[in-house]
Amino acid sequence: MLVTWKYRPRQSFVETFDPRARWIFSMLVLFSIIKFWDIRFLLFFFALVMTQYALTKLTWAETKRAWLFILVLVVFIVALNTLFTGRGGSGTVLHGGHVLWRVEWRLFGLSIHPTITVERLWFAMSQIVRMLSISILFFIIPYTMDPRLYGVTFRGLGLPDRFAFSMDLAFRFVPTLARDFSTTLDAQRARGYEVERVEGGLIAQIRKMAPLVVPVTMNAILSGEDIVNAMDLRCFGLRPRTWVHKLEYQRRDYLLIGFGLLLFIAAIVVRNILHVGDFWMPAWALQWAA
Amino acid sequence: MEEKRLWQFGTREVVYAAIGAALYGVFSWVTNFLALPAAGNISLRPAVAIPMFFGVVFGPWVGFLSGFVGNILGDFLSGWGFWWYWDLGNGLMGMIPGLIWLSITSYKAKSAIIKAEIMVVIGAAVGMLVPSLLEIFFSGIDLKTAIAGYWFPAFLSDAVNGLILVPILMVAYDSIAARSGR
Repeated sequence: MLVTWKYRPRQSFVETFDPRARWIFSMLVLFSIIKFWDIRFLLFFFALVMTQYALTKLTWAETKRAWLFILVLVVFIVALNTLFTGRGGSGTVLHGGHVLWRVEWRLFGLSIHPTITVERLWFAMSQIVRMLSISILFFIIPYTMDPRLYGVTFRGLGLPDRFAFSMDLAFRFVPTLARDFSTTLDAQRARGYEVERVEGGLIAQIRKMAPLVVPVTMNAILSGEDIVNAMDLRCFGLRPRTWVHKLEYQRRDYLLIGFGLLLFIAAIVVRNILHVGDFWMPAWALQWAA
Repeated sequence: MEEKRLWQFGTREVVYAAIGAALYGVFSWVTNFLALPAAGNISLRPAVAIPMFFGVVFGPWVGFLSGFVGNILGDFLSGWGFWWYWDLGNGLMGMIPGLIWLSITSYKAKSAIIKAEIMVVIGAAVGMLVPSLLEIFFSGIDLKTAIAGYWFPAFLSDAVNGLILVPILMVAYDSIAARSGR
């Protein structure tokens, strides 16, 4: 079983930035997006993240799985939210509204009447744009950031040495443990183990995973002891650790962080001082209910 | 022998956190594409037992990193991007069972298994509740959708998988624990 990371060098514009700057920028944009419910502002952020996506040189073939996952999740959650209450967020409340569709069902003596109003529909559209913007902002990261740099990146962002090294080590263990899993699966299959066989109730099916999970886990723990001893013998943790890769901010990284800060400050000013950016619906949309 | 502290994070914890994270990531990825049969809302996610088990055996920091980093790895391998508040939730799901780490002397004792089972349920509940509530701010859904659409299915799945597999892992670990020498 070959484990491959989604990342590969593409020489794209996005990859020229320091990973720390990219993380800081992404978090600043995230906290800017969540301040708005006005679809006009949300479309601006959507255009921004799509521009970032276009600059990554990712292809549809590489990312279609992620796109499908995000689209299914967003549509399901928005549909559920729209049918339930049509409201959401920390402050947006929609009462009444102009009815587009309403039906009444009786279920076990209870009356259920899902209602779609023009306002709920417009809110759902705003919500879809918002969720997609947030998802696209982050889903490009595993495709465009070298896994070897995660440890030094988070160390550079302030994570303690040991936590950052543990993260780095986890990435390095993945191919080894995937290979051990594959070996164990083949060995168990040779002994008549069939993981895909549908038999017994749910509890029996989960317990059937034990012949796979237990040997791989116990072997990994036993191997870990040798690694712990080797690290202790080399005085791990006695002084600050150095890293193979060294990250240095360039001018463009400061510009990227500056742009992110500008967006965030602008978002605060627009929302908290000018009180603009809350839920908005155009007057012509009310004609849908006519 | 060195006295153990609940929140210690020495060389041993660094390595086992990394192993736990890698195991969780690999198992998550593998069980995704093996397309195992599921029943209703409870899906076959045996991988969630890993951060819970590592928390019980190696402490809360190991449990947290196993869940947090492991979920990142699983999502990266599956090509699903990065969802940091769900990574945080998985971290909490591993950390909470780790709070009983120091109180366990034998991993196959009935009392230890019962304590672990209780913490598995609490860990799954709290671990999935935090990101579900954060979705209210990020996705703009309301509380009912957060509970019914996110929290309940995730909690049920994680709790059932953890309740069944964590004791099995604990009993298996008890037989090798004496070999660690620490």
